[in-house]
Amino acid sequence: MKKNKSKIILGVTESDAHVVANHLIAYQLRTNGYEVVNLGPCTSVAEFAEAYCWNPDASALVIGSLNGHALGDLKELLQYKEEGKIRCPVILGGNLSVGADKNRKDLEKFFEIGVDVVLDSINELLPALEHLNQNERLVV
Amino acid sequence: MRMIQLERQALIEQSSIQLPSLEETVNLFKARTKPTVAQLLSTAKADKKMLYQPRCGVGDHKEMVDLLRTLEGLSRPDILSVTIDSYTRLLKLDQASEALRTDPRKLNGYPLINHGYEKARELEMSIDAPLEIRHGSPDARLLFEVAIAGGITSFEGGGICYNLPYCKDVPLRHSLRAWSYVDRVCGKLAQHGVIIDRELFGTLSAVLMPPAISLAFTLLEGMLATNDGVRCLSISYPQGGNVVQDVAALRSILELASKYLPEGTAVYPVLHEFMGSFPKDVIEADALIFYGAMVGRLAGATKLITKSNQEAYGIPSVESNAGGIRTARMASAAMFDFVSIDESLVQEEQRWIIREVEEIIAPVLEYAQKTSLQEAIIWAFEHGYLDMPFSSSRYAKSEVLPVRDADGAIRYHSQGKLAFSRETQNRNRRLVSDSFEIKDLATRISQDIFFFSDGHYRARKAV
Repeated sequence: MKKNKSKIILGVTESDAHVVANHLIAYQLRTNGYEVVNLGPCTSVAEFAEAYCWNPDASALVIGSLNGHALGDLKELLQYKEEGKIRCPVILGGNLSVGADKNRKDLEKFFEIGVDVVLDSINELLPALEHLNQNERLVV
Repeated sequence: MRMIQLERQALIEQSSIQLPSLEETVNLFKARTKPTVAQLLSTAKADKKMLYQPRCGVGDHKEMVDLLRTLEGLSRPDILSVTIDSYTRLLKLDQASEALRTDPRKLNGYPLINHGYEKARELEMSIDAPLEIRHGSPDARLLFEVAIAGGITSFEGGGICYNLPYCKDVPLRHSLRAWSYVDRVCGKLAQHGVIIDRELFGTLSAVLMPPAISLAFTLLEGMLATNDGVRCLSISYPQGGNVVQDVAALRSILELASKYLPEGTAVYPVLHEFMGSFPKDVIEADALIFYGAMVGRLAGATKLITKSNQEAYGIPSVESNAGGIRTARMASAAMFDFVSIDESLVQEEQRWIIREVEEIIAPVLEYAQKTSLQEAIIWAFEHGYLDMPFSSSRYAKSEVLPVRDADGAIRYHSQGKLAFSRETQNRNRRLVSDSFEIKDLATRISQDIFFFSDGHYRARKAV
C-alpha cells in the first residue's frame, strides 16, 4: 500500500459515456492509497480545469477515452495548459484513435495537444503515476 | 389534491404545449374499449400467465405506426412499447424538433412531446395491444402528461432508477420531486377510477447489478409511489445469469411488496431479459433469449421484456425484434412443463436476498422517521448507505463493486457502505472466495461483465 496520499483528478472525455472502466480505475487508485476526485463520464476540458482550480494540489489528471474521439474532445487542452489553468501532468488512456499498431507519429498528436503520458492499459496506470515525479514524457 | 391541480396548471403554462384538461383525459379512459395494461397484468397474474413485450421506437410518426403494426402482425406481443428518444428524455425539445424536421432517423426513439398527444392517441388506437412509454427521463412530468392525454396506460421510470443510470449531475432531489408529480397525477386519476401502471426500472445500469440493490431501490420507489397514490406497480428486475439467484430475486418482489407496500396495491414482478453484453452469434443470442424467458416462467413473472438476436449490434430490425418475442414465448409452451428448479436452493437464496434488502433499507427507513422518505433517500445516497455499482451519476458513490461467484451469481467484491450484518458479509466472503482463481480485479470484472458474450460462462460451467 502506497503511503503518500497524493490526489488524482479522474474523468472520461466529453463525448464518452463509458463508466465501467472509470469506476474500476477509481477503485484501483483508492485501494492503492490515492485520493480520487472522480468527475465521471462526459467531462469537458473546462470541467477538468475547474476541478483542478479547486484541487491545485492534484498530482495528475487521468483521462479515459473509449470511443475513439479523444483527439477532438481534448483539443482545448493545450490552451488551458498554456493559460496555466491546468498545471499538473495529463495522463490519457483507453481506446484512443491511435489504431492497433501504435506509432510514434500518432502519439505525437496527443503530445501536441497537451497530453503528457499515453497509456495502453489500466495496468500501466500505477507504474506511470510512480514515474511522474521524474517529470518527463513517458511512452509505455 | 388541489395542490397537484395547481402544479399541473403551472407546468403546462410554462411548457407552451397543448394539452386537454384532466377531465377530458379521464373521459377518454372511460370511453376506452380495449384493455389497459393494468387490466392485462391483473388477468395474467390470476391466470398464472406471462405477458410478452418488446422495446421499440423510431422518430417518424408514420414509421412508428408501421413498426407497431408490423410487430403486432409478426409476433402478437401482449403489450407494446414506445421507446422515447434521448433528446426528449432530457427535455431538449428544440433538438428533437430539429432532428424531426431534417432527418427523423437520427433519433434513437419516438419524440412523443414534439409529436403531441393527438399522435399518441393514434399510436394507441393503431394496434390491439396497449402501449407502455419507456424512456430514461430524470424529469418526466411533461412526457407523462402527453402520454396520459394520449390515452396511454403504462409509464416506466422513477426518481432513482431513471436518474442514476442515465444522468451525470441531476440532483436526486430534483428527479424525486419530478417523479412524485407523476405519481400524484396517477393518484388523482385513480380517484376517478383510471389506473395507470407504473413500472419501476430495477435494471439500473444493467451491468452486474446485485439483486438486493435493484430490489431495495425499486422497493423504496414503490413506497414513494404508493404514498403518492399509485395503485398499480410493475417492478422489474434484470436477469443476472444465475437461474437460482434470478428466480429467487423475482419471487422476492411479491414477498417484499406484501411486507412494505400498502394493502390493495397491485404489484407485478417483471423480468428484463439479460441487459448486459449480448452474444454476437445469432444462435447463442436466441438461446440466451429463451433462457431468460424460462427464468421468467420458473419464477412466475407476470411480464417479460424481450430481447432480439441482434442485441449485440444495436437497435434490431423489426423481424429480429419479432423473432425475439416468438423465441421467448416458446418458454410458455406446455412441452416445457417438465422443467423445474431445485426449490430448496431458491428458498435459501431468497431468504438471503430479502435479508440483504432489509439491511440496505434499514438506515433509510430509520432516518425517514425524522424527516421524510424522500429526504432519507437523498441522505442515504450522500453517505453511501444506498449505493450502486457503475453509476453514471455523481449522486451515487459507486463504492460497491460486484463480481460473479463460481456459479455465476452476482456477489460483492466490495460492499461500500451498505449496512450489511456480519452474517451477510461472511456468507458473501465465503461465496466469493470459493470462486475460481483470478489475476487482477479489472480482468476479473471484465470477464464477469462479458459473461454471456465471450464464452467464459461455457468454460466455467464445464468445471
